[in-house]
Amino acid sequence: MIDRLANHRVARTYVATRDQLARLPFWVRVIVILGAVGGSVLANGDDYVTAVGVSVATYAMLGLGLNIVVGYAGLLDLGYAAFFAIGAYTSALLMTQAHWNFFATLPLAVLFTGTAGAILGYPTLRLRSDYLAIVTLGFGEMTRITFNNWDYAGGPNGILQIPWPNFFGYELNTQGDFFIVGLALLAVAMIFAQNLDHSRLGRGWVAIREDEFAAESVGVPSLRLKLFAYVMGGMWGGLAGAFFATRIGAIDPTSFTFQLSVLVLIVIVLGGIGSLPGVIVGALVVVAMPEVLREFADRRLLIFAVLLIGMMLVRPQGLWPRIRRKPKPFYGLEEEESEDVADKILREHQVQMEERDRRHAAAGRQVPQRGEALLEVEGVVQQFGGLRAVDNVTFEVYRGEIFSIIGPNGGGKTTLFNCITGVQKPKRGKIRFDGRSVVGLRPHVIVSRGIGRTFQGIRLFKQMAVFENVMVGLYPRHRTMTWQAMLHTPGERNDEVRTLQESRRWLGFVGLESVAGRLATELSYADQRRVEIARALAAHPHLVLFDEPAAGMNPTEKLELVGIIRKIRDLGITVVLIDHDMSLVMRVSDRIAVLDHGVLIAIGKPAEIQQNPLVIEAYLGREEDLVEEQAEGA
Amino acid sequence: MALLEINDLHVFYGNIEALKGISLAAEPGQIVAILGGNGAGKTTTLRTISGLLRPRTGSITYRGKSLIGIQAHLIVGLGLSHVPEGRRIFSILTVEENLNLGGYLIRSDRKLVGERKASIYTLFPRLAERRTQLAGTLSGGEQQMLAIGRALMSGPKVLMLDEPSLGLSPILARSVLKTVREIANRGTAVLLVEQNARQALAIADRAYVIEVGRVVLEGEAAILAGDERVQKAYLGGFEAVGAG
Amino acid sequence: MSLGWSHKHRIAEAKGGKKGMGEFLQYTVIGLTVGSFYALVALGYTIVYGIIRLINFAQGDLSMVGAFLGWTLLVSFGLDRLPLYLALIIAFVVPMLGTAVVNLGILQFAYKPLLKRSLLAILITALGMSLLLQNTAELIWGPRIEAYPPNLLPSTGFFMGPVHVTYVQIALAFVSLLLMGAMVLFIQGTTVGTAMRALAVDHDAARLMGINVDGVIRLAFVLGAMLAAASGVMLGLYYVQIQFTLGFLLGLRAFTAAVIGGIGNIPGAMAGGMLIGLLESYTTGYLSGKWKDVIVFGVLITVLIVKPTGLFGERVAERM
Repeated sequence: MIDRLANHRVARTYVATRDQLARLPFWVRVIVILGAVGGSVLANGDDYVTAVGVSVATYAMLGLGLNIVVGYAGLLDLGYAAFFAIGAYTSALLMTQAHWNFFATLPLAVLFTGTAGAILGYPTLRLRSDYLAIVTLGFGEMTRITFNNWDYAGGPNGILQIPWPNFFGYELNTQGDFFIVGLALLAVAMIFAQNLDHSRLGRGWVAIREDEFAAESVGVPSLRLKLFAYVMGGMWGGLAGAFFATRIGAIDPTSFTFQLSVLVLIVIVLGGIGSLPGVIVGALVVVAMPEVLREFADRRLLIFAVLLIGMMLVRPQGLWPRIRRKPKPFYGLEEEESEDVADKILREHQVQMEERDRRHAAAGRQVPQRGEALLEVEGVVQQFGGLRAVDNVTFEVYRGEIFSIIGPNGGGKTTLFNCITGVQKPKRGKIRFDGRSVVGLRPHVIVSRGIGRTFQGIRLFKQMAVFENVMVGLYPRHRTMTWQAMLHTPGERNDEVRTLQESRRWLGFVGLESVAGRLATELSYADQRRVEIARALAAHPHLVLFDEPAAGMNPTEKLELVGIIRKIRDLGITVVLIDHDMSLVMRVSDRIAVLDHGVLIAIGKPAEIQQNPLVIEAYLGREEDLVEEQAEGA
Repeated sequence: MALLEINDLHVFYGNIEALKGISLAAEPGQIVAILGGNGAGKTTTLRTISGLLRPRTGSITYRGKSLIGIQAHLIVGLGLSHVPEGRRIFSILTVEENLNLGGYLIRSDRKLVGERKASIYTLFPRLAERRTQLAGTLSGGEQQMLAIGRALMSGPKVLMLDEPSLGLSPILARSVLKTVREIANRGTAVLLVEQNARQALAIADRAYVIEVGRVVLEGEAAILAGDERVQKAYLGGFEAVGAG
Repeated sequence: MSLGWSHKHRIAEAKGGKKGMGEFLQYTVIGLTVGSFYALVALGYTIVYGIIRLINFAQGDLSMVGAFLGWTLLVSFGLDRLPLYLALIIAFVVPMLGTAVVNLGILQFAYKPLLKRSLLAILITALGMSLLLQNTAELIWGPRIEAYPPNLLPSTGFFMGPVHVTYVQIALAFVSLLLMGAMVLFIQGTTVGTAMRALAVDHDAARLMGINVDGVIRLAFVLGAMLAAASGVMLGLYYVQIQFTLGFLLGLRAFTAAVIGGIGNIPGAMAGGMLIGLLESYTTGYLSGKWKDVIVFGVLITVLIVKPTGLFGERVAERM
């Protein structure tokens, strides 16, 4: 016994140490490699090589910023040079007109670019991504033309004689100085970017890139995440711009053309979209290649164009692709006994529920008790063209029950789900959850109110492992702030471990712990549906909506599904179910509603529904159909 | 040899095997009903026959020739027409333009196009009334008529219908299915995927019941209509309770 | 981007003493002439986008290629020595065909393998194509500004009240309208044109009609390129000066026109082109030429934010 405990402790220390090491290397790697490269370049002492090095560092910084926008959030930004320009002009004007110290201008340069990004991004990031590309391109050109026409900023001549930066009395004025500052900024940028990528934000971005609709519906605030990436990328561009201005000593609008935006894009496409080392490689190619191959320098854009197209066709992952480590689920987590898991889930869920109820009560809202109306649908109408998909539907779902909605295909069931979850806004009618209206809220807000869902056609994040899918479902329950994610603070680490732990419990809950590390697409149909269920449960909803969870399942799998649904109910979660399998619906449901042509034709206990002649007719066709037609045929 | 014969068809979506060896056959003038729950593989079967999906293994033979590997738009030219699930009419085009597109392959023969359109307007007089209206503004029933009419424009020997009664009122569904019977009576083979089992079996000659990618039952429609196993497999026991 | 692109000399003519209504009408004539060029390019964007949801960034550069092909024929091959009508017919038709071949090549080699991949990949490739066309043109025709034969077309005109209209303006506007009319007739009136519109809604359903979807996509690329090339030659004839960079801003303005008109909407693209032309002409005339692109992009961004389906409604159904 003691032996086992000791082993256990040793194993724990070992795992913890290994974990520590696994975390440390990125800092170390970045600093060691950049330090070594920087040292050898400086030791070489050739000013020309150092100058090229500064340019590479500048482009790499720009590339890192754009990489957050394009690589992480999947938004094509063709006006990135605008941020570079705003940063450069802000810093240069403050230094020349107000005689600020370079380092003092940096916060303002970053603030201005961030603000510009937010002002442009907030209204435009909802647009389709191809429109967004054009909008950003237009923004880039507008910015350049504005600087060109703005006399205070020197018009077409720009700003001259920008002073050298002064670092506590030491004037930075050699290429070597700039190289050191550039590398330091680059190192910070890389470490921040890496931390973001491996935080919940990184997961949220992957989810949005893969399926924005599904991400939003499981609680990821997609617009906020995109805006964050856009603003963040802009801020890096601004920082790089300020650095550029003081280093060159003179800036004018021709330094910030569309061509620069394209070059930075080429940096990340060549290196590998989303890859951090790739950015450095890309910057090396873009800056150094024209220097090395002098005779082709005039033709560099032609060569880059060919490279760009060639890369997309032949090697879209880039020269140094983003490495997708094989995901190691629950790496370093303690094993839990299975009864333990169920217990813990129940306990955790009850804690969550009670906390919520308390919060509601404290806010003076009435908390529905078991058996009272949790979801109220009142006179809901939804119309597409001439078709009334949902026609004046009214019903209540009581807390703690399993409620099924059945009816022929095209009867309006999924449309109703979409209205409840905020995917569509109903034309008319009220939908109240927990006594509060949810009409007009964005899907992720409704998730955080406590409604989870699954989809009729499975919508898992295909490039993510099973456990990562469930972790995305935990997004609304993270407690850490973005700056913590960026710095990878202990608080953020604990939060991640907790998320991991919970995702494992939910997978255990649906019986899929053993396949947690597989890609979602490798699983069978039935298992994928279970992953969706786990993902929906992970946010600790009060109410879950399952859209045809049994479709494509064989009888054994259906039986297991019945078990899972009952277990969910036992947790105190209210379940609303759409399905066509009558035996399943009849077996699990406390009450059933029947929708036909958007109209609620019956509601009641399973036995009542089975006897209802209207239902039988709607669902199976009329009895006389058979008789009549056969008589005609004969 | 039947007009259309499908043998041991296996179709995958990524790693998921949607069809695990489907075999079926259709003769001219016959309505063959394909029944089964959602996700059973009915739509996949039709999409594979019409060339929108490629099977991994198995054969599809039409008039003794294999259809495998032939592109979808060429399969229409061979005489197989497919009315997809959810109708998929071109909502931004008029009724007339939708029908014209149905006759895309015979577009150079204006006379034939005119004749076929006329016969479709006789079959569905409602469409004639609305010929200049945008298809997106039609009611569900009219859209279904348009979808079927559009598929008939190419003069198919095999007509595949995916849930034609979807979203229609029982009366409308009955009238649509009656028209399907008429079409078959003129010598067209019809593959009918339906969820309305009673109505489908009432007009069909043969039927197959599919479950999770496999044919679990097949036979004469009239016999299957009375078969308890159909009610079990497809109606999930509900029918038995409801009728009893 | 200063080359033949500035309206300065035209506007200067207009400013010759006339004020008020006359000035306004004069800007209107100029705006509509230029707008018709934008409309042609915008049509190309709208047709291609409607079918495969691709912003063909190279659309504006195809105009540039057309302009240079026309220039090569007229100047290097000395076509201007032929009778005027013959020279003009060749100078339009050959560049239109040549550009169509270029665009087909782009579709086949670059876009087609990517159509099933991510939107990001295909947008980046389209951008690469634009760069490639520009820099290849620079390689072939050099970086200098070239001039169309200045005296090929008479520079005379007549006065309609206070407004001076040149024969060139009339002729070019006529050719634009002719091309646009032919386009509308084809797309609205023929079965193949109907198929093109149907592809905006549903590719699979179109396949089930027997429509060769790949073939129709190729056709759209051919038509888009021909319209772009025609507008390029007209630009050359109107402004005289051309340079390899002219496609960039032309493409952006035309895209703005397509978006304003509601992408996929063919009459909308034409109206959008005219609107952009007018907007530009009035800005240049009343404000200053240096702000005109800021205004155009401002309008683009505003329209996209306020009414992303365009002023005349989008004709592209959302495909999921």
